[in-house]
This record gives sequence, structure tokens and C-alpha cells, in this order.
Amino acid sequence: MGDPIFEAAARKGSAELLILASLEDGQLHGYDIAREIARKSGGLLTFHVASLYPLLYKLEDRKWIQGRWVEKAGQRRRRYYKLTAEGRRTLTAQRGRWTAFVQALTKAAGLRHA
Amino acid sequence: MAQNNWLNRVRERLAAEGIVPSAHREAIDEIAEHLNDLHEAAIRAGRTIEQANADVEAELARMAPLAQAVGERASRRQRDTRQRASLHHGLADDFRQALRTLRFDRGFAATVIVTLAIGIGACATVFSFINALLLDSLPFPDPGRLVLLWETDHDVRDKRFIVARPNYDDWVKETRSFASLGIWEYRSVNIASAHEPEQVRGVRATSSLFTVLGVAPALGRVFTDEEDARHEKVVVISDAVWRTHLGGDQAALGKQLRLNGEPYQVIGVMPPGFVFPQAGNGVWVPFAIVDQDQQRGAHSFFVAGRMRPDVTFEQARADVEQVGRALQQRFPENKDEGATATLMSTQGLGQVRSMLTALMGAVLFILVIGCVNVANLQLGRGLSRRREFALRLSLGAGLRTLARQLFAESLVLALCGGIGGLVLTWIALRAADVLVTPGFRTLPFRGEVALTIDGAVLAFAAVMALLSAVTFGFAPMFGLSRREPNSLLREGERGSTAAGNVARKVLVGIEVALAIVVLCGAGLLIKSLSGLLRVSPGLDPRDVLTMTVSLPQDDTYGPPVRESFCADLSRESDGLPGIRTIGAISHLPLSGANAGRLLTVDGYTPSTDERVSAAYRVTCPGYFATLGIPIVEGRDFTHRDVTRGEPVTIVSRLTAEKYWKKGDSPIGRRIKIGGPQSDNPWLTVVGIAENVRHFGLDSEAQREFFVPYSQAVWPQMTIVAKTVGDPMAWQTPLKDVVKRIDPGLPVALVRSMEQWIGSSVDWRETPMKLLTAFAIVGLLLASLGVYGVLAYYVSQRTREIGVRAALGATRGQLASMVIRQSLLPIGAGVVIGVAGSLASGRLLQDFLYQVRPGDPQVIAVIVVLLIGVGLLASWLPARRAAAIDPLVALREE
Repeated sequence: MGDPIFEAAARKGSAELLILASLEDGQLHGYDIAREIARKSGGLLTFHVASLYPLLYKLEDRKWIQGRWVEKAGQRRRRYYKLTAEGRRTLTAQRGRWTAFVQALTKAAGLRHA
Repeated sequence: MAQNNWLNRVRERLAAEGIVPSAHREAIDEIAEHLNDLHEAAIRAGRTIEQANADVEAELARMAPLAQAVGERASRRQRDTRQRASLHHGLADDFRQALRTLRFDRGFAATVIVTLAIGIGACATVFSFINALLLDSLPFPDPGRLVLLWETDHDVRDKRFIVARPNYDDWVKETRSFASLGIWEYRSVNIASAHEPEQVRGVRATSSLFTVLGVAPALGRVFTDEEDARHEKVVVISDAVWRTHLGGDQAALGKQLRLNGEPYQVIGVMPPGFVFPQAGNGVWVPFAIVDQDQQRGAHSFFVAGRMRPDVTFEQARADVEQVGRALQQRFPENKDEGATATLMSTQGLGQVRSMLTALMGAVLFILVIGCVNVANLQLGRGLSRRREFALRLSLGAGLRTLARQLFAESLVLALCGGIGGLVLTWIALRAADVLVTPGFRTLPFRGEVALTIDGAVLAFAAVMALLSAVTFGFAPMFGLSRREPNSLLREGERGSTAAGNVARKVLVGIEVALAIVVLCGAGLLIKSLSGLLRVSPGLDPRDVLTMTVSLPQDDTYGPPVRESFCADLSRESDGLPGIRTIGAISHLPLSGANAGRLLTVDGYTPSTDERVSAAYRVTCPGYFATLGIPIVEGRDFTHRDVTRGEPVTIVSRLTAEKYWKKGDSPIGRRIKIGGPQSDNPWLTVVGIAENVRHFGLDSEAQREFFVPYSQAVWPQMTIVAKTVGDPMAWQTPLKDVVKRIDPGLPVALVRSMEQWIGSSVDWRETPMKLLTAFAIVGLLLASLGVYGVLAYYVSQRTREIGVRAALGATRGQLASMVIRQSLLPIGAGVVIGVAGSLASGRLLQDFLYQVRPGDPQVIAVIVVLLIGVGLLASWLPARRAAAIDPLVALREE
């Protein structure tokens, strides 16, 4: 959090990919989305509330994800998000583009393989 | 930490950024939950409460962009919703909303749907007739090129009659417009096979007739010119005859059928749908021209032609008329005769066309009356819905949105009405199958026409429904557009506006006017028919049974083969309990059958232009007595007028008056068939018979002369028998009489004389019944309209009426105040309606007998009837007004 490279990448659209990917295996609420992304990235990628929700709104408006309020027994009412069919297609497409980009970056900038 | 703390903090924080918390409850809840989770996670990670609080506060401090996003999302959503409502999604919403509204107002919806269903159903029913009878083309290739050729009286196109063979031959040689011409004559044919003997319609025709029609046999071939010239006994049969008499056998070709006792070789079978010239025509034989056909005065034949592709109908007709005029110059027999052509597709449709036009007009009026009623209902409903509209307008709905929703409601109603109308149409058409006599929808060259709901009828009903929706759909918008929502809201409850009241009165006026037009039409037809049915045909049709027997013989002009037919008939029926008298005639009055002959009257010198002629009838003794036709002088034929006896004749009174001077009795005088040079024998007049309206109650009697069957011959005789009581009850004994005379004689057309009279007025009666039914529906709808408007008026004025009652107005004064409301629109409607019926009466002219379109008696009756019904419809609401209790009325407000 606070790393300028990651902040910039998020603004350039990789954050969308991260959110879509986090929902690939099922529906999550906003806090869990942020936690899932942080966990998978080993704590490198984190979201502030103020940057996560505008993104969720944007993705919802684009109909890539769909949020709905769920009340589970013994839990507080939460708003869960899930991928729409269109979101799933977008995820696949964006993954392809990012893979190509990362490979190009690897070659061109002489990065080491992770 | 309780969730509520962070919820309040989020609220405060966003409010500080300009977000109204109450409008974004869900977004705030969601964010608060997130912060709660963060806080709990911090505690779980071992941070102190103060540290965890600080973490969350740090998030809250960055909240500005989130506040902005929340605000933006909310306004974006609002915009989207509005757009969706006004764009394509909106349409479905409109319909959903319409269905919801109508479900609330079921009484209204049902009334409208039933009204529309009646209107649309009536229109679609009449259109089905038009579609089947007028719009369908003839079932021959390129039917637009088929014409019929006629001779004319004095070159007047509308006075057409059938053709003499020599003229046809000249037309073939001298016209240039036709690819082919064919000529035919009807003949009745007895078919004998293993099957029972059957009498069918037949035709003798030239082979070119099949070329004209362009239809090939399904099996075998048609006859050739050579076979025709050699008088070969070959026959082309219909599919029905093939199935009945030859068992539908593929190997039928070459087999023999006995036609009128003579063997004919079957050479062809026509396809199943082939109808020419009439339904039921079963055999086509070569023309086989004989000497009798060669007279230019013998008008016995029909002629059809196929125009060349490069020729228009007008050119072809001009061509025929030109040749006709040329023949007029050349042959004295053609002196007063011209020639003309008509399109085959219009044959037999003249009256049907004008009748269907009149009926279509009537049903369109009924639909309009229905729409006016619905518009009236809508207006009333619109006024009470005004508050709803006003509220929605003030909440930002556009006028267009309201208009669209109203139209959606109307469309739903019209659609249901249209579906209901089609159901009614289906019922009406099935009823028509039973009620409308087959003669009414049996057309030459097409047979009995099926009345079906096809694509054209569906499309027509849909268009009618759509037009109705447009007509009545926007009525509630009336007066809405120019107003401020505020004033609408204020007046909402009270509702009734001056403009609305005027509109409703105008609508009542329209209804009354339209109803008058339809009612006057029906009234004219009723008066015409009832007058016609009072006309005496010149015979007594009561208790008379008729049946036709075929008496074929080789030489139809020679002496009778069955010399004793009449005597046999009398002998075999003598003493039968049910039969009082019996006779027979070649051309039964009112059956449409006819034949004419040129005459020479001994001692009568015709003027130069005059044709001496009379209609020709062959009878058996007893015919006149059986039909109650008086012999005014002399005697009837007897069985002593035998074949080799003195040739005798009876003339009708008109013939006697025409050719013999008054006081100069024709009895004992002589006439002969044909011109002065003819070899035909002189016939001595032995009696004068009273005139008969042979062609129908609406036609004048013609000159006639009668000869005994024993001395002349006719291939088909109609037996007439005066019976005891119901004539149809005696058909079996009479058929047995025919069987005893000759078991091979087929019997057809078993009917009572009253049925013949009935079917002679059928083409008048059917439209009269239909128009009367439509008129009654129109009257009911119009009176409902008057009632509805006044009932509404009373309900709107309850308070005012209550005040008047409280101030001492009597019940009579109150009732007359209400009724006065209806007088002006009804009066105006009556005036316009009478004018309209005078203008539209011409459409019915063809169907009127001694009644003129502007018949004052009919108009007076209808006007009185309508005013009466209008006042009755006003009376119920007026009575309600008079009964209003001032206290209750005032408390209501």
C-alpha cells in the first residue's frame, strides 16, 4: 500500500482485473474482495475503502459484476458481488492482454522470471 | 465496537462531503460494514482499540473521492432509469402498466372490449364476404384476360342477352383482340351407369372453350375440333362424375357412359376444383352443330374469350362492339342488336358488390359508434383520472409519457377487442354457412365460395383494431395538454370541464347520426321487401309441390318420344290421397328458366322495327289449375290434344292484348313459331291464361305462349302438384309416380312453390336481415352512449342537483333539466343522420322495390324510434337525478 508503482498500475486498469479475478471462484463482499487480493498478492496489493468502492460501482455499472444484499443467519446484512457472464468474458480477455503485456515487459525490460 | 458507531461516522463524513445520507442509505451501510470488518481485523491482529480506531479514521479521512463516486453513481442510475422508461424498455413497461391499470378497472375494460369486439367482428365478417366473393380471382390461369361476350339490345351495354351461333362465328372471324373464343350451351344430362341414374348439369361446347379457360384435364384429353365437326359421341367428365359413376378408376378413359340414353366415350376427366360454368356441372360434350343452331334469331349460347396479352379490356370491348355494329348493318335479324364484352370475374357480382359495399358501410358505422362509446367512457374515466395525471405531471412525467401510456392502454383494449372480434367473426361465418343460402355465395366459374378467416381477414381486423385504438385512445388527453398540473390537481376531483362536456355531446350527436343512417338503410330494405312480398306473382303458391324430371330424347326439336308423358302423369297420380291436381311445365315461374321464340301472328302486321315474339312454355294439362292461374277465356289443354291432333296453343293475356284488338277474341285464331316464311305448323289458340310474373315478384309479366308437351317437346319438365296440406310431405308418393312412368327418369329440385318464391327474393332478404341485425346493434350501442353520457352528467352534478332540490326545484323540473342536456345532441344527430341517409341511400337503390332512398315514411319512423330510444336512455339518469336527496347530496362533498 502506498507504493507508487502499484498505485499507478491500479489507475491504469489492472485493479479491474484484480477485482474480477477475485470474484472468479464465487461471490464476495467488499471487505473480502480487498482481503482476498491482499492475501493472493502476499500483502503487496491492497485497496483503500475510498479506491475500492468507486471501482466496484464502475464495474457494476458496466454490468461486469452484480451486487446484491444477502442476509445470512447469524450474520449482518452484507452486499455480495458476483461475476456476470459478461464480466467473466471480460476477465478472460483482460487476462490474455495482461499476459501478453507482462511477457513483452519481461523481454523488453530484461525482467527476471518470477 | 458496535457497528452503529462507524455507520454514524460514515454518515457524518459523507454529509461533510455534500452527500445527503438519507438518499444513499445502502452505500453508507456497505461502507460502514467494511469499516467494521477493518476494525475487527485490526483488533484480531493485536492492535489496541485506540490503534484500530485510528486505522479506521485514516480510511475515513481519505473518503472524499468515494463520496464523489457515490453521488455520481446515484445520479447516473437515476438518469438510466429515466431513459429506460422513455426508450424501448419503456414500451414493455407501458404495457405492463396498462395491464395493471385495466385490471383495476375491470368493468371498464370489459365494456370496452365487448363493444370493440362487436364492431370489429361485424366489420371482419362483412370483410370475409368481400374477401371471398370480390377479392378472390377466378381459378383459371391469368384470369384477368378472361371475358364474356354478349349481344345487346339496341347497342345498350347494360341490356345484355345470350348469343346466336352465327353471330359467334362472325365474331371469331372479325374480332382482332382475342387469342381464342369458345361457345357453350347448357343442357341437362341423365347419366346412367352401374350407379343410380343421375341428372347432372352439362354443357355442349366447342373445344376452343378449354383453350380459352387454359385448364387441362387431370386425366386424358379434351375433344378436338374434328371430333366436334364429326359429331362424335365423346365426353369430358367432372371429377365428381368420375368418382360417382366410374369409381374414380384411372382406367376410366375409353369407357362408355350412357348420357340421355346414348353411349358416349369418356376421353377426359377434369381436375377436382374445376367449375365451369357452374358448380355441379358434370359433363362437357362437343357442340355438334345442328341446323337449328344456325339461325341468327336463336339466342341460346354463352360465349367466353381470352384476350390477347397486348390488348386491354377496353380495347377488346371496343373491338367486339365495332364488329357488332358491322353485323347490324349486314343482317336484318341483327337490326336492333349490338355486341359487348364483360370481364368474366365480374359475372354475377353486380348486386353482390353493391350489397357488400352497403353492408361494409353499415358495419363501419357500427364500429365508429362503438369507438365513440369507448371514447366517451374514456373521457369520463379521463376526468376521474385527471388527478392521477396531474400528480404524475407534477412529479416530472412528460405529457408524451402520459400519452404513450394511454395509447398502450388503448392498444391493449383494442387488441383484446380485435381478438374477441375474430372469435365473433368465426361464429358469424359458421352461422352464415347454415343461415346464408348457398345461392348467395355460389358464384359462376367458382362454385360455392368458402368463407374463411385467412391472412387478409386477420390483417383487416388488426388494422381495424389499431384504427380504433387511435380513434378513442387519446380521448382522456383531451384538455390535459394546455393545463398547468396545479390547476388540474385543484380541480381533479370535481373533474367535469366545459370542454369535456362539449366533446361528449358532440360524440353523442355523431352516434345518433350514424345510427340513423344504418337504421334508415335497414328500414328501406324492410319496407321494400315487405312491399314486394305483398305483390301477387299471378299464381297461388300454397300447397304446391314441384320436382324436375329429365325427359331426354335424341332430337330435342322433333316430336316427343314420350307422347303419353302427360297422360301417364295424370293417370298414375289419379286417386292418390295427397294429390289434388297435377300438371307440368318446361319453365317454372320464379325458377329463372326461360326460353323465347319469334312468332308470326296470323292477321297481325308488325311495324317495320317490331319483333313479334313471346316467351315459350311447354305444359301438361292441369298446370294452370294446379298453380291457380286462371284461364280467362277458352280452355286448358287436355289429353285429347295429342301428337297427331290439331296443333294448339294457349297465349297469356299480355300476348292476347298485344297481338289482337280489344273485343277481337284470339280464340280460334292462329300463330306459328318463327318468321312468316317459317315451315313450322300453324297453332290454333284455344285459351287465354292470366299473366304471371315469371322472373320474380319485382319484374313485370311478359308475353307468353304455351304449347302441349304432347305436340312439342322439352328435355326437362317440372311437375307441379297441388297437395293436401304440407307439400313436402308428399314427395315420396310423387316420386313413386315418376318411377311408375319410367324408372330411369331421375328426379331433381324437389321443392315447394313457396320455396321457389322465397329463393327468388333471397338476394333481397339476406342483405335485409343482415342490415337489420347491424342496425339493431347500432341502435343499442348508440342508446348506451346517450345513457352513459347522461348518467355521467348526473353523477357529476349530484351536488348541484341537490342544491336545486333544496331550493325547491320539483322532481319534474330536475328530470327535465337532465333530459334537456340530451335534446340538443340528439336533435343535431337526427338532422345530420337524415341528411346522411339521403346521401347514402343510393347505395341501396339496387335492392329497393318501389321504395325511394329518401322514403319519408321510413325516415319518419326511424327518427321517432331514435328520439324515443334516446329519451328512454335519458330517462333513467333523469329519474335518478329527480330522486336525489338534497341532504345526502350536500353531505357527499
